[in-house]
Amino acid sequence: MTKRRSVKCLIFGFAFFLAGLLLVSCGKKSDTIKIGIILPLTGDLAKFGEIEKNSFMMALEEINALGAVHGKKLELVIEDTQGKPEIARSALEKLVTQDKVVMIGGGYSSSETYAAVSVAQKQKVPFLVNTGAADNITEQGYEYIFRLNPPVSEYPSSLESFLKESAKDVKTAVILFENSLFGQSGSKEFEAQATKWGLKVLLKEGYAKGAIDFKPLLTKVREKNPDLIYMISYYMDASLLIRQSMELNINPKLFVGGAAGFTLPEFLKNSGKATEYVYSATLWTPTVPYKGAKEYYDKYLNKFKEPTEYHGAEAYAAMYVIADAIKRAKTPAPADIREALTKTDMMTVFGPVKFISYGKMTQQNKLPTFLVQWQNGQLETVWPKDVATKKYIYPIPPWNARK
Amino acid sequence: MEVFLQTLVAGILKGGLYSLIGIGMTLIMGVMGIINLAHGQLMMVAMYITFALSSFFGIDPYISLLVSMPSLFILGMAIQKYIMNPLMEVDSILPENQVLMTVGIGMVLTEIARFIFSSNYKSVQTSYSNATFFLGAISFSVALVIAFFIAIGFTVLMFWFLLKTDIGRSIRATAQDRDAALLMGVNSKKITIITFGIGSSLVAAAGTLLIPIYYLFPDIGGPFTRKAFVITILGGLGSTVGAIFGGITLGLAESFGATYIGMAYDDMIGLIIFILVLLFIPGGFKRFTKI
Repeated sequence: MTKRRSVKCLIFGFAFFLAGLLLVSCGKKSDTIKIGIILPLTGDLAKFGEIEKNSFMMALEEINALGAVHGKKLELVIEDTQGKPEIARSALEKLVTQDKVVMIGGGYSSSETYAAVSVAQKQKVPFLVNTGAADNITEQGYEYIFRLNPPVSEYPSSLESFLKESAKDVKTAVILFENSLFGQSGSKEFEAQATKWGLKVLLKEGYAKGAIDFKPLLTKVREKNPDLIYMISYYMDASLLIRQSMELNINPKLFVGGAAGFTLPEFLKNSGKATEYVYSATLWTPTVPYKGAKEYYDKYLNKFKEPTEYHGAEAYAAMYVIADAIKRAKTPAPADIREALTKTDMMTVFGPVKFISYGKMTQQNKLPTFLVQWQNGQLETVWPKDVATKKYIYPIPPWNARK
Repeated sequence: MEVFLQTLVAGILKGGLYSLIGIGMTLIMGVMGIINLAHGQLMMVAMYITFALSSFFGIDPYISLLVSMPSLFILGMAIQKYIMNPLMEVDSILPENQVLMTVGIGMVLTEIARFIFSSNYKSVQTSYSNATFFLGAISFSVALVIAFFIAIGFTVLMFWFLLKTDIGRSIRATAQDRDAALLMGVNSKKITIITFGIGSSLVAAAGTLLIPIYYLFPDIGGPFTRKAFVITILGGLGSTVGAIFGGITLGLAESFGATYIGMAYDDMIGLIIFILVLLFIPGGFKRFTKI
């Protein structure tokens, strides 16, 4: 008897709780325009998710301070994906069906973004991808998917001119990549391009991220003795790869990172002197010639007491693009916002944004990339020459010839 | 040949650390009869202790073993005494609710670490972090070699403890037959508390030894819990000698797989061995030993 009563109580309690939730969400609905953001806030990519979240929030505050859009303030509903594709999908479903967001932003890793974009397309809600870089994300012909950042195949575009003009004696290459959608897509494209540039690819190998010991892999690399080692890795693997290359005394003419992990301040902290002379392709540095780039960097540093990097700039720029599209849309409804996004033509801290179709890609923003190099513990832009902050050092000195 | 030897060395050195992680789990498994799915997370706590000592007080990671191991010993005992033991007395729908509890403990520890240290990746740089010596063309990482020998030291000590001391004998008795041990006057509650403490402090040692060569972040525990689980199954549940063989086997399998099959399949290789062992030597390597 008592048991049944307590069950009843529970059910009633739960019903009240639900009703309360409904009331709260109804009350909120009227005075803001909701934008859904999916980011990995827990799990091993949490660090990057955090940088992006901070940047989104920073941009949102600035935008809302400028005044209302369609008479309402903008609001971000941020969902955690844990960096997992299946959770990204359900997070997106939840944002669209329960929170009734008018647009989606964010999406960190390629795997989770790729899983999420098909849901956005199905639900007919525009999704501005700002980080997921695997080529196939914008190769599906989805009309609701837009991408702010260049695809991973274009990350090394600055490397091409550098090899042609400055490092002419690089003839052979080894490609190491994290075995994820991002790494696979990037390494496949890089191999194709390197062959086109006249490089011989001696070895192309993936690894599972989070490994402790890369020595078996690196011993194989040492046997090949390549001129160039190109690595597509996140920061943690990046620093172990470079440290263990130093331990094994592997001396290519160039170590080049394919963005992601090689430009973070933590890379320097974890690898110490092994970082010196390492090159990396990057999409953004605080010294790029775009208006507001340096200001964004300083503001972030001031507010969060730690430096930001290109992922943050992507998020910050994306927020402005989203706000701009919503402002220009006839009504703040998904279809109208999509319409407005196709006509986007604006300048952001991340560079000019305009969604065009080329090659197999649709609604893709095209941006130049940069080559940076660690010199004296500083990340210096070294290529293209007209935006360089320091002259590049090539070839990099062998490990045992360093201090 | 050079590649082969380098692979062998890498596998054995890594295997030493894996054994240390595995022994902790297998001890708890033996006495409690459950898999401790917060094992990797306990290791993460020890790593953060080491990190904090090093970055705030400049204490060398190897010296901080003296702090991290006792701290985890106490934490492990507290978990057993105040969380796990009360659960044993409760009738529940699932008999495995202690296993579920360990999952919960793991999550709580991870989020506490995230709350205190944020999601940032941390690392401790020491003078020997990148030091290597060469025997012929084979490179040995100094930190890994030291870690390997300390791990062996702890393992030997553990054996001596289990075989020769009174508490050690009680632990083995409880692992073999809980009820019989109880009838012989072994305070099994006390023994489970001590065992959980010892298991935690062993994995703490592994975490601290990893610090000079690895990095850490709040979610680092998960992968190591999985590794510990595989090692424990390989070795045979509850078997200490088995855990040592399990650890070395996993280390070797991973590194030979990395060299000759592809490093991308690191985890897959470990798990294939796991399945093969389950199929062909159910009960693990324990079948070949007595302890």
